[in-house]
Formats: sequence, structure tokens, C-alpha cells
Amino acid sequence: METRQDIVLGLIFISLGLATAWMATGYTGASGAYPIVLGLFLTLLGGTVAVKAARSGSTQTRVLVNAPVKLITAVAISTIYVAAVVPLGFYTASFLLMLAMPLGLGFRRGVYALVMAAGFVAVVYLVFTVLLEKPLPREAVLSLLGAGG
Amino acid sequence: MEFYTNALAEVLTFGPLMAMIGATLVGVFIGALPGLNPVMAIALLLPLTYSMDALVALGMVAGIYNGSMYGGAIPAILLRIPGTPASIATTFDGFPMADKGEASKALKIACWSSAVGGIASAVALMTVGPLLARVTLFFGPAEYFWIAVFGMASVGVMVGSDPVKGIMAAVLGLLIGTIGIDNLSGQARFTFDQTWLLGGLDLIVVLVGLYALPPVLQLAEKCDLRGLSAAQLKLTNAPFRRGELRGLLPTWLRSSGIGIGVGILPGAGGNIAAFLSYNAARNASDDPDSFGKGNPQGVAAAECGNNADNAASMIPALSLGIPGNVVAALVLSALTIHGLQPGPQLFHQNPILVGGFMMEMLITSLLIFALGGALATRVFAQFQRLPGVLLVPSILILMCVGVYVINGRPVDLWVMLAAGLAGYFLEKVNVPLAPIILGMILGPMAEQSVRRALLISRGDATELLTRPISAALAIMTVLVIAWPIVKALQRRNRARSIDHVG
Repeated sequence: METRQDIVLGLIFISLGLATAWMATGYTGASGAYPIVLGLFLTLLGGTVAVKAARSGSTQTRVLVNAPVKLITAVAISTIYVAAVVPLGFYTASFLLMLAMPLGLGFRRGVYALVMAAGFVAVVYLVFTVLLEKPLPREAVLSLLGAGG
Repeated sequence: MEFYTNALAEVLTFGPLMAMIGATLVGVFIGALPGLNPVMAIALLLPLTYSMDALVALGMVAGIYNGSMYGGAIPAILLRIPGTPASIATTFDGFPMADKGEASKALKIACWSSAVGGIASAVALMTVGPLLARVTLFFGPAEYFWIAVFGMASVGVMVGSDPVKGIMAAVLGLLIGTIGIDNLSGQARFTFDQTWLLGGLDLIVVLVGLYALPPVLQLAEKCDLRGLSAAQLKLTNAPFRRGELRGLLPTWLRSSGIGIGVGILPGAGGNIAAFLSYNAARNASDDPDSFGKGNPQGVAAAECGNNADNAASMIPALSLGIPGNVVAALVLSALTIHGLQPGPQLFHQNPILVGGFMMEMLITSLLIFALGGALATRVFAQFQRLPGVLLVPSILILMCVGVYVINGRPVDLWVMLAAGLAGYFLEKVNVPLAPIILGMILGPMAEQSVRRALLISRGDATELLTRPISAALAIMTVLVIAWPIVKALQRRNRARSIDHVG
């Protein structure tokens, strides 16, 4: 497992190194020379990792993901959250994330999650919008209410 | 001396003072929560410091760093769960002490030892840092180039278990650093016709993703639905015996020395300092068998050692631009945010800021005495009753706020997410993340220096090696890279000779 992972890792870096070196050949003068050298060096290092792994013949196992279902759930909810921040607004998306993530991971104390979500989003609002005056994506609900009014 | 008195006058104003007090408390809280660590906290904090005064921002970094290194001792002692990697050694004697009903005493020893270690380390930074910086007055572009290469090589080789992967990570960071418009020629590189890439990938966006997302995903995988019960966090009072505190003095002195030494070495971290200090205390003890069974000296050694590493790791970072550990790399990022170029010229261009940061490292260590007492410890321990799954979305929200406010661009959120996922898997296959960040920070300095050196010498590359300091730095770089290869060959020869004998 560890051997196979390192061979794949080495191959990824070889590809990355060759791709960057090839792209850098299109840049003029010293602007291209530096990334070409780096790309080729990355290829060499990737090759070293892959060859070392292939020669070691290690049969050791290295767990890449401890709890695949939980990880996929967390990544999926995080991705939806990032996608929803602009269309829904920062605080609406964050409130929904505070509810969806614990529920998705198996937390079943709904009222506890709701209180925490409301409390945390309120604190974030007070700190970042009221105190620090940081501009964040506008709430869709407010826009709708504004349009309605 | 004037260097420090001027800096102290700036530090002892309302903004920096409040920042240090607040951040030290936040640091203790973060350290006390297993799963959160100072690197993640500082990475989350950095984007918010754009609009702040530099001394306020650095005061917050200093407070979180020193506070969290002590905070890690709280779950280490109460639950045998190290709050930070540096507090693993604290569990050896801290938890047995708590088991014997001496949790309160163990926490007091951890608090005072952390403060003593932090103070010693800050004093080392204040004395050695300026001396080292004076040497750098003789540096030209060739020397700056070799300093950057030496820094990346040493961190790449020393961080993580495989030096090849470490150097590979550093080269990846250098390549990421080339994205955007080349300052010297105006050529756009690796931008794929995307205007948002013309300025390059924002260091802080990548940093928040790389350092904050992997622990969040690990928390999600661990899926703690309950938190801890009140009974698990109960503290009982245990008074000190006569002369017991005085008996800790030799341990504090020894551990401070070890921690400072380890801190100066690029790549070695607080956990190594804690282990070395713990072993040294056990070897020096009249009763080594009592270690691991609740000996207060063990707690004192581990905590003093890991805090003594803190400020010392800033010595190469501030004077040479080579971070001793990831937090030092974050401090360099904080300086970059405020338009300051980390490295040798920093001491000469911004003495108040550098001196002020050193004073802040000292003051936040002193604050641990005042803020890390039993009452604060009792309060912070209670946060461990919070179910871990609720921390996952909370940290994610803070990450998104931090990243979004930098440029106000939604695309940065996607970059952060991608960097975080890459960081999660890279860590799993033993590719260290610190060299990537270091490559991004030092890459532009290395490239511009080497091109300037070649321009000055009219393309003569031998100029990079013929000046005495640059030649010495080049030799040191070769030695740093060759050292693990020599060790590996020695190990192989030893194994072969054992096989022959067998």
C-alpha cells in the first residue's frame, strides 16, 4: 500500500514538473529559465520518490483515509457551503452549515445544534460585521425582502 | 539598549497590550482543545490582521503562540490527550499526577514552567537575534540567494520523515511562488489567461487551506459526538511541599537551554525540545524510575522545554529569513502582509517592529504567569465538554471569513478548499507542508537575488560561489542535503555488516 501510494505520488510530481517545465519554455529569457530548472528538479525528485518506493518493496500499510464516509460527507458539505456563500449570503450559508455539518456527521441533538448555530453566527456577526466592519457576501433573504418592500 | 527601549514604548500602548492579553487567553483556549493547534489559529488570524497595526498583529501572534503551548498541557494532564504535539511529553508524568489527585499542582507546575521557558527563550532572541543580524550587513544578492536556498534545504530535510519528500515540497512551493507576473520582466507565468492569477496565489489563502483544513477534516473523521463529562474535568487541590518549587530550578535551567538550542535549529520543533528536556531531566535525576509515574520534574522539563523553543525559533527567522518552524514561517507571512520583506534587511529597515515583536514574545510569556492560573485553567478545561463535531463547521466558517476578507473574491474560497484537500492527502503520504509555505515565501527572494547577482556579474555564475560568505552558505547547503544521504548509507552498511556476521 505504502509502496503503491509513493509510486503514484512520484508520478504525480513527475507529471507536474514536466508540465511546468514545458509551459515555461514559452516564457522569454530569465523568466522562463527559473521555472524550467524548478520543473526539471521537481521531475527528478518525483522520480526519486517513485524509484525508491519501487525498489524498497515495502509491504507496510499506510491508511490514507481513516473514516471515508465521514470524510466524504465533510468535504461534500464544505464544498456546498463554499458554493452557497455568494448566492445565499454569508450568514445564511454559515447558519445552514452549522446545522448541516453536525447532522451529516451523525449528531442527533437538534436543539443543541440549533442553539450553537444561532449563538456562533451571532458572535461572528458581532465580531466581523459590527466590530471589524469586514464586507461579506450580502444575504439573499435581505435582498428579497428589499425587493418585496 | 535604545533599540529595546524605543520598541518597549511602542509595545506598551493600548492596542498591542490588549492584543497580547486577549491573544494569550485565546491561545490557552486553543491549546486546551485537542484538534486545534497554534498553527491553525495563527493561520486563521493572519487574514484579519491586514488592516491592523503591525505591532498589534504580531502581539496577537505572540500571545496565541505562547498561550497555546501552555494550553496544550491542560488536556495532557487531565485526560492524557496532548492538546498540541509539543505536549505529548507532558502526558508522561502529568496524567499520573492527576491520577494521584494532584492535577491542580501539575497544572500550576506546567503554567510556571511554560512561563519560565518562554521568558528564557525571549531573552535569547533579544540577545542573539541582533548579533546575527549585524553579520548580514555584509550580504549582497548572492548571499541572499544562498540564505533562501539554505533555509528551504534545511527545513525540507529536517521536517518530516523523508528528506526527498521535504525538498520536493519546497520545490513545489517555489513553483507556486512563480505564478503571476514576473516583477523583473513583466512576463505572466502560469496564469492560464485568468486575471485573478496575475498577482499570483495569495500566500495567506494557501496557508489557511493547507494548515487549517486538514485538522478540520480529521476532527470530522474522529466524529466526537459527546464531548467530555464534568466528572472527567474535576480538579482537586494539592499543596506544594516545602522546597518543592526550588527543586525545579535546575530542571528549568537545563530545559530552557535545550529548548533554545532546538529552537534555533531550522526544522526542529517544540515536541523535540520537550522530549529532549524530559530525557535530560530523567538522566539527571537521583530517582529516574519515578519518571512516568507522576514526577513533577517530568512535567516541568517537558513544559519548560517546549516553551523555550518558541521565541528561539524566531532567531533565524527574523535575522536570516529562515523560519525555525511553521509558526516562525507564519510570523514571516505576517510581516509580508504588512509589506515587510522577511530576512536580513528587516533589522536595519524596521528596528521598532522587530524589537517590538521580541518584547511581545517576552511579555506574553510573563502573561502566562498571570493568566494561566488555576481559575483560568478550570474555565478553559470546561470547553472540552463541547462535542467535537460542532467545532468542524465553526472553524470552517472562520476560515471562510478570513480568506474572503483578504481580496473579497469568492475564487479564493475555492483555492483555499483545494489547498486544504491537497494538504490533507500530502500529509497522509508524509509530504511535509512547512517547506511548501517556505518555498512560497522565500521563492521570490531567491529568484530575484540570483537574477540580480547574475546581472551584476554580467552573467558570470561563478560570482554565486566565489564570495566568502556565499561560498560558506553554499557549502552549508550541500552539507545539509548530503547529511541524510550519508546517514542512510551508514545505516545500510551497518545492516549489511550485521547480515554478514549473522
